[in-house]
Amino acid sequence: MESIDRRRFLITTATGLAGILAAKMPPAFGQQREISYLCWNNFAPASDKKLAEIGQRFTRDTGIKLKIDHIAHPQQAAKYASEVQSQAGHDLVEMRMHFPWLYEPQLVDVSDVVAELEKKYGKALSSAQDTANVQGVWRAVPQYHTFFVGSYREDLFKKASLKVPDTWEDLYTVGKELKKMGHPVGIPISQNYDSISTASPVLWSLGGMEVDKDGKTVRINSPATEQMIEWYQRMYRDCMEPEVLSWTDASNNTTLNAGKSGWIHNPISAYIVARNSKLVTADGINHHRSLAGPHGRHETDVPRHIGIWKFSKNVEPAKEWIRYLLGKKEVYDEYVMSGDAFNLPVYANLQDHPVLKTDPKFAALKQEGVQFHCYGWPAPPSAKVQQITNEFILPNMIAKAVTGTSTKEAVAWAEKEMKRILAG
Amino acid sequence: MAVKRRPLRTKILLHLGLLPFLLFAVFPFYHMTLTSLKTDRELYDRHAVPLLIRQGATLDHYQKLLWDTAFLTWIKNSLLVTAIATTISVVIGTIAAYALARLQFFGVDPFGTGIFVTYLVPTSLLFLPLAQVVHWLGLADSKWSLVVTYPTFLVPFCTWLLMGYFRTVPKEVEECAMVDGATRIQALIRIVLPMAIPGIICAVLFAFTLSWNEFIYALTFTSSSDQITASVGITSELIRGDIYFWGGLMAGAVLASIPIVILYVFFLDYYVSGLTAGAVK
Amino acid sequence: MAVGSVRVDPAAPRPGLRLRELLDHERFLGPAFVTPALLLIVLLVAYPFVMAIYFAMSNAFIGRPSHFVGLRNFVALWESDSFRQTFQNAFVFTGAAIALKLVLGITLALLLNQQLWFKRMIRGAVLLPWVIPTALSTLGWWWMFNSLYSVVNWTGLALGLMDPPGPNWLGQKYYAMTAVVAVNVWRGLPFFAICILAGLVSIPRELYEAAEADGAGPAARFWHVTLPLLKPVLAIVILFSTIFTFSDFNIVYVLTHGGPINSTHLFATLTRQIGLESGQIGQGAAISLYLFPVLVFVVWAQLKFVRRQVY
Repeated sequence: MESIDRRRFLITTATGLAGILAAKMPPAFGQQREISYLCWNNFAPASDKKLAEIGQRFTRDTGIKLKIDHIAHPQQAAKYASEVQSQAGHDLVEMRMHFPWLYEPQLVDVSDVVAELEKKYGKALSSAQDTANVQGVWRAVPQYHTFFVGSYREDLFKKASLKVPDTWEDLYTVGKELKKMGHPVGIPISQNYDSISTASPVLWSLGGMEVDKDGKTVRINSPATEQMIEWYQRMYRDCMEPEVLSWTDASNNTTLNAGKSGWIHNPISAYIVARNSKLVTADGINHHRSLAGPHGRHETDVPRHIGIWKFSKNVEPAKEWIRYLLGKKEVYDEYVMSGDAFNLPVYANLQDHPVLKTDPKFAALKQEGVQFHCYGWPAPPSAKVQQITNEFILPNMIAKAVTGTSTKEAVAWAEKEMKRILAG
Repeated sequence: MAVKRRPLRTKILLHLGLLPFLLFAVFPFYHMTLTSLKTDRELYDRHAVPLLIRQGATLDHYQKLLWDTAFLTWIKNSLLVTAIATTISVVIGTIAAYALARLQFFGVDPFGTGIFVTYLVPTSLLFLPLAQVVHWLGLADSKWSLVVTYPTFLVPFCTWLLMGYFRTVPKEVEECAMVDGATRIQALIRIVLPMAIPGIICAVLFAFTLSWNEFIYALTFTSSSDQITASVGITSELIRGDIYFWGGLMAGAVLASIPIVILYVFFLDYYVSGLTAGAVK
Repeated sequence: MAVGSVRVDPAAPRPGLRLRELLDHERFLGPAFVTPALLLIVLLVAYPFVMAIYFAMSNAFIGRPSHFVGLRNFVALWESDSFRQTFQNAFVFTGAAIALKLVLGITLALLLNQQLWFKRMIRGAVLLPWVIPTALSTLGWWWMFNSLYSVVNWTGLALGLMDPPGPNWLGQKYYAMTAVVAVNVWRGLPFFAICILAGLVSIPRELYEAAEADGAGPAARFWHVTLPLLKPVLAIVILFSTIFTFSDFNIVYVLTHGGPINSTHLFATLTRQIGLESGQIGQGAAISLYLFPVLVFVVWAQLKFVRRQVY
């Protein structure tokens, strides 16, 4: 009896095993193409859901299997570095801001795809061009962008009959009143990107810059810089509170939503959270067009593109996915609509998008006459220029100047550090 | 540690002395739990009292975390990876520690010291070339890559810890057993290991905790939502740009602590009784 | 069974017996036991470590071919203000944190060693900081130090210990360092306390009784009996803690990002900023490897001390 049982056991196991092996064996023909896409966790969770939906339709329509993974944006650098190092990972990756310059040798030339999109939708915005086009070659396809805008407590302004600011000088004037009312202005001066996002437009609108267009000459030591510092010193003293020295990227959102700040410089993320969480401040928040200075109306922009790693074995299917997501206007529109106006299209003819009409508070996002730039403008965002941004030299210079260091000393320090980085 | 009855006054003073330590240790946990139960409205209310829930407790954050995200999968991954990595590390560490503490052989001294070198390279640097190795092993984007790489920082620690404990077991006991006819391995299993149980439990607890808390390897070696671990999943899902979902993050912190709390409470008794038993001998 | 084909002569044992005898032999068992650990370390640590050294001595940049440059990275770093500040911060941070953890750890262990009510609960509570996943507990602490909602300030104001609005914890130079040290101590104290407790418990009672009989008071007993016998445990704990504290990343990254004005940057956070986010892997590796001689020295000092005590 024992031997019969054993034989039966062996037979069933063998059959089972054979079955498993057969199932795992790929068919000789009709092998399904598979691609994977690593993108960030969108501000708007609904947008991620929409992306998954579109991905499934893509698979149904083209037969290419698509796997979408998400990652938080602070972790992108580590993740991308390890994928490049091991020359394996995803096929498509989200390239935020000026990352295409950093990873240029590893990204596929996608000029053909961009040419198609530009023919349909008009030229990509200058900030997208500056960041995704590396020395004449498109290394990533511009997808959408998130820009900074003035976010303010309209109800407080109305109560005190304050004028909605149009220039950075105007901001100082209303800021003084706001602080007296107990609702100071909230501009961070610390080691985070929001700080650079405000300092840069202020500097640009005064005609200043960190590094020149040639990407080699440090121009931080200029009268414009000194004017910017002087403005910040006044703002810090009369319109803000010392806590701005401790802020992270989330802090200004929090103080606006909590009802403390009267004015912050931020993308619309603050308002969206207030609205969706039904906070008391939600109704009072509104936005206005970016502020100007003597040398124009400049604003910080965070464009996001899609790139394809060179080590990918599925470059053509990957390009098909991009064409599906962005090339078909209905799909692109659908995707943008799900984003709560966080992610706005980045091509010239799509600027006045229906998503802006979904909430009256989005009206200001039309941003007429505003020039968008990414960090480091006007210098091309080479790796060294990006390092200047990543080392927070601009905010640290301002922080020094508002906490006791003399302007000349602070500027000299910044100049020395920037020169060292460019040389190194 | 005298066992005579201490006067009540001394006992009370003793407990008062412990109070600041307890507050310091427990308060952040209390604050995090409270935050996870507050409504968004109260969280943003800057006039709210941080120490209490005034505007009604809510289980919203927990619900969103448990049902709207792959939280349970992440916890399962964390538990699996941690349990296996800990087991592997403690086993490897135990035998290595025994060899280094007891046996004489070529290379014992340099190896004992050399084991430390592995700690001097921080994981924040090591992870990049290690990603390459993981890829060569065919383990990219899999939680098994973590099972293989976690022992790299767990084994040296376990080895060193257990070396110390093995040294406290008197050689005579082992030698007695061997004279009686037991092989070295039998002596190890039947005599030495039981005496070193507190040390082993200690090693298990610490290895478990270090492994559970690990972040950077988990982040870089896994991507798919069904492979990532709890810390990575929670911070990825609930930090979007400059929006932090505080309620959810704190709910995640509370829920992710529960498995370890259970483990510790369960083993602490054994650990402590093991310690005191060792002292009484 | 043919004569002579079964050998009963113990001088030439059957294979099974030989294996068992071998396993009894120290010179074979030792290396055998140590091999798994050795393999693990060689494959998964030694190779990446050598690669890391190569990175540090090259101009490695993410995804680009690299060239050997010798010690240039190490030298160039000294000209960077953020690096010099980081070097200083690391010693201040580690020194303060370890000193606090040592003193508080011994105190706590002594207290825990006594006969207590609710012993299990108290010992469990003390371990809590160790139990919460680090990435999340540091976020919790950020919320506690947050300029708007800080429960620390709220409590301080409520108790009248602070003037409104309370210290700017993460925005002022020395306060920020205090805050990150506090969080590190909070997280590391259980480790110290539990390890020292284990050491305390193994001190034979007879020594205390003998000292008491000689007329020694509690303080003298601590100084002459407890402390000397704790030294081996303390050495090991300080050793491990020094390594972990020097290479700490999460606390500074989440709370201050290295600020204000680089005053809390540590080696690990600076490496992330320059090595990863800016792509300069070579420089990043060099920053990390600056830790190496420091740690080697600490390890050497401790090991010498431990060997002397324990062997």
